[in-house]
Amino acid sequence: MNMERNLHYVATKRRVREDKRFVTGQGKYVQDVNLPDTKHAAVLPSPYPRARILSIETAAAEALDGVQMVLTGAQLAEDCNPIRLGLKLPEINWYPLAVGMTCYVGEWVAIVVADNAYIAEDALDLIEVDYEPLQPIVDPEQAFDETELLVHPGHGSNVLYHGNFLWGDVDSDFAGADDNLSFRARWGRSSTVPIETFGALARWDEGTEILDIWASIQMPNFVELMASTLGYPLNCIRLHQDVDVGGSYGVKRGIKQSVLVGYLSRKLRVPVRFIEDRLANMAGSDAHGPDRIFDTEVAFNKDGVIKSIKIRALDDAGAYPGRAPFQLAKPISAIVGPYKINSVKYEAISVCTNKSGQVPVRGFGQAPTNYMIEMAVDNVARHLGLDRLEIRRRNLIQPDEFPYQIPPGSKYDSGNYPVVLQKGLDLAGYDELLARRDKARAEGRLAGIGIATVLEPGGGNNIFEYLMDPSAEITTFMEGCEVRVDAQGNITGIMGTTTSGQGHETMMATILGEELQIDPDEIRIVHSDSLNALPTRSPIASRMAIMLGSAAAGAAGKIKDRAMAIAAHNLDRPVAELEYSGGTISDRNDPGHKLTWAEVCFIAYRAYHKLPDGMEPGFQAQYVFQVPGGGQLPDENNRVQVYPCFSFQAHVPYVEIDPGTGRVSVLDYAIAHDCGTVINPDIVRGMVIGGLAHGIGAALYEKFAYDDEGQFLSATFADYLMPSVHEIPDVKDVEHCTPSPLTSHGQKGSGEGGYLGAPAAIASAVNDALHPLGLHISELPMRMHKIEALINDGNT
Amino acid sequence: MKAAKFEYILAESIEQVVQVLDQGDGEAIVIAGGQTLMPMLSMRLARPETVIDINKIAELSGIEVTADEVIIKACTRQAEALASPEIQTRLPLLAKAISYVGHQQTRNRGTVGGSLSHADPASEIPLAALAMDAHVSLRSAAGARRVAMADYFLGPMMTARADNEVLLAVHFPLPQGDVRVGTAFHEVSERRGDFAVVAAAAHIQLDKDGICSNAALAIGGADSVPLRMTALEDRLRGDAITPERIQAVLADVANALTPGNDQHASAAYRRRVATVLAERALTEAAAEAQE
Repeated sequence: MNMERNLHYVATKRRVREDKRFVTGQGKYVQDVNLPDTKHAAVLPSPYPRARILSIETAAAEALDGVQMVLTGAQLAEDCNPIRLGLKLPEINWYPLAVGMTCYVGEWVAIVVADNAYIAEDALDLIEVDYEPLQPIVDPEQAFDETELLVHPGHGSNVLYHGNFLWGDVDSDFAGADDNLSFRARWGRSSTVPIETFGALARWDEGTEILDIWASIQMPNFVELMASTLGYPLNCIRLHQDVDVGGSYGVKRGIKQSVLVGYLSRKLRVPVRFIEDRLANMAGSDAHGPDRIFDTEVAFNKDGVIKSIKIRALDDAGAYPGRAPFQLAKPISAIVGPYKINSVKYEAISVCTNKSGQVPVRGFGQAPTNYMIEMAVDNVARHLGLDRLEIRRRNLIQPDEFPYQIPPGSKYDSGNYPVVLQKGLDLAGYDELLARRDKARAEGRLAGIGIATVLEPGGGNNIFEYLMDPSAEITTFMEGCEVRVDAQGNITGIMGTTTSGQGHETMMATILGEELQIDPDEIRIVHSDSLNALPTRSPIASRMAIMLGSAAAGAAGKIKDRAMAIAAHNLDRPVAELEYSGGTISDRNDPGHKLTWAEVCFIAYRAYHKLPDGMEPGFQAQYVFQVPGGGQLPDENNRVQVYPCFSFQAHVPYVEIDPGTGRVSVLDYAIAHDCGTVINPDIVRGMVIGGLAHGIGAALYEKFAYDDEGQFLSATFADYLMPSVHEIPDVKDVEHCTPSPLTSHGQKGSGEGGYLGAPAAIASAVNDALHPLGLHISELPMRMHKIEALINDGNT
Repeated sequence: MKAAKFEYILAESIEQVVQVLDQGDGEAIVIAGGQTLMPMLSMRLARPETVIDINKIAELSGIEVTADEVIIKACTRQAEALASPEIQTRLPLLAKAISYVGHQQTRNRGTVGGSLSHADPASEIPLAALAMDAHVSLRSAAGARRVAMADYFLGPMMTARADNEVLLAVHFPLPQGDVRVGTAFHEVSERRGDFAVVAAAAHIQLDKDGICSNAALAIGGADSVPLRMTALEDRLRGDAITPERIQAVLADVANALTPGNDQHASAAYRRRVATVLAERALTEAAAEAQE
């Protein structure tokens, strides 16, 4: 294992290289890319959740001075294909603009291109749409049962996916267990809501016949989807990946926005930019997150040992499927959490309703699942009168049991869950925290401590798609890295994808520097455009440290091998007798007999006569890293390794609730975190704490709300409540390192960070606070008016 | 979110403002700090033909103290009012209320007069002004007039100010004679800095014997306008304020309110929590007066 290695840069506190450009305002976003003669687009939202579009009158808008074009869905559908991503649902046609029917409030019905954004919005006022409003489908459980009222009548039902999985002998485990309980838990419709909305700029170049696009994107298959939707060859589209993306964590999937500007740019022969405003983003961007009802049954023995679990998850995907159903499949990676649960029944249902669509959100369905699992464990503890720590200690996988295979087939790579939990408790000062809680209770306040012990699967792997759709035989989830050494000896690392604030450039430079023994600050990192890129699956799935990091190590190894071969040839010594140190290669037995890095580079670029026979001139290397444990299809029992690496977190928050108002204050928060080898401590800490704030938002505040008639209630930040610095306590955090055996330096994923555990932990704390009143809440967000009603009115 | 076209006038005098308003036929609007109006313009919820900027008019900014009142000019920033020692010592209830208004960054721009003109039923400055028996001075081309807070709020974002009037200042009366004053401002919002879901402002005056000579309790966020709890106030006057007295009058709060339902709180929540906050505000104000 690498841990015995003497590390110079990895795991060392070093400045994050991206900070400088962001802090000094030098970031370059889509809005900052200026092309001559660029036109601006604005979209017209539907006011109805479900309505037939009888006619759209655009003449007055088109006549407005400065308007270039008004495009409707019907016109667009003549020239482009529906967006197909995810499950094969041929009767559900998702276009960038509504065609014939609007399916949710805020859905884009038409788009205007004008000389500036003000004129574009003036023109929106002049478009007249004749709608025939229809009864909407809002409630997901009703949508599931409904046979008449259908979001997409051609599809025949509102069910996008309904699957049953059985891993192990659930019936006999339930029959043999001492006891069981059931509960319902509901995860609210929240999301990642980045400071930068989605933006895209496209320019069709008639000379080269290439569509150039700059987009605020974080998504695998983006160019493929654009090409298939527009009906272009794949290599006709060039995505410029050197724009900064102003936040994402899954949601920057602006395929419809990009198709629109691409189409309009080619049509109008001018660059077209569309930057969503906040209203278009919140209501119409199809960027909402999971909205999920869990009905769970747990079987357990009197000693608290959990034997089996039955989970029914009903998820509200909104109007168009997108990637939503798969957010029910990824959590199969860690469906039993960090616990030794012998068997699992999992019923996964995705339904459509008349709401904005769903995108991947940080953890791809894992945060809701972790919330449900932790509630199951807490509920069993409460049922048995057991301490919540004790029940975890009895069920956690033990350090000597790794790699540990869970019933659905994934093997957890490594971990030391009891030790990390203990670190979290020590950091929280658990005994004093108990005393503080009990003192607060004695003084008549409602106080509670939360406990959550959760996993973060990292690395990605599309094989979960196959579990839902056996035609999706996708068994690789690779990431490529190229390293170039120029004739002066400077090193440039090239990544083939965008980055949205995760610090990938620092991560990659650190690993290249470590492997090549060169100060990472001297290594340049750039983003290739998509036509130049090696295979990539983009920065999703907590995977870049694992995948790009390992690919960078692999490419650096090839560079080193090449340098060694050049040196062996010129020093006339076998490679085994040479030593590489900071770029200089010398004879172990005669250190004065050496070749410097500059000499190696000169030979590679200029002195062909000094190269080993058959070696190509130049100095570069490519490495494409396949996801560890990938490459397999599921066995006959649907068992397969999904994600490769499993990070672990123990959360211990302390909350108090004002019984008169129901307001929850998070007063303290301790988290112990194990993502294997930390490549850059500040980046990981930022992920942990930022994710935790995101999770507190999902737990207490954030909800994209619709009323019973399908009207959208959360179009601005006055109604979609994100926590501010005032709502997030000073977080105490500690790292533990259980290296992964599967990656270059033992690293695991950390990008989903505290988000995967904070909602569970805050729910645990709130329920601990409510426990003395005999009350319990199992719905997120736990808004103060719901808690107050529970306390003072006996219902929510 | 780009504003519709409007004419922008950077006014140099109050005279100019009232003339523009007078000719505006209801389509002209005054902008001060812009903390509410700018988003409304951007979302095209407000589509005035003319926007008159009063930020450069010196006589519309500042705080004056006389023997019997404190005058805050309309364009005075909330941050300036909050930081003013005169406000902190003479109008403690207003200082307490402003500390709940938005955040430092919004208070640097937002004005006292803007908040009173916008008249959101859940905003803090109108609530405090109502509890303190303030009045506003208004001016139109036809002349000036004063309107008491009790007559000023007509509905959500609706006031007695006519379209052709500009708000010049708000006048807060100072307590007279040998009295002890206690104040308290309590509000609940999901996050710090939000509009209140419910808020309560209490202003209690005790005579030298500790008898309540004047009591004001105003509730915001729980009706279409901020409301004084006049029946409760009448019952508190003329007696010492004890926890028992407060308990005895609290039922009046829920009876006086007709709250609305929305995604952030039910009517029942607002009614119950108004009572809770009223109790806390009265208790704290009474304790402060008794100190």
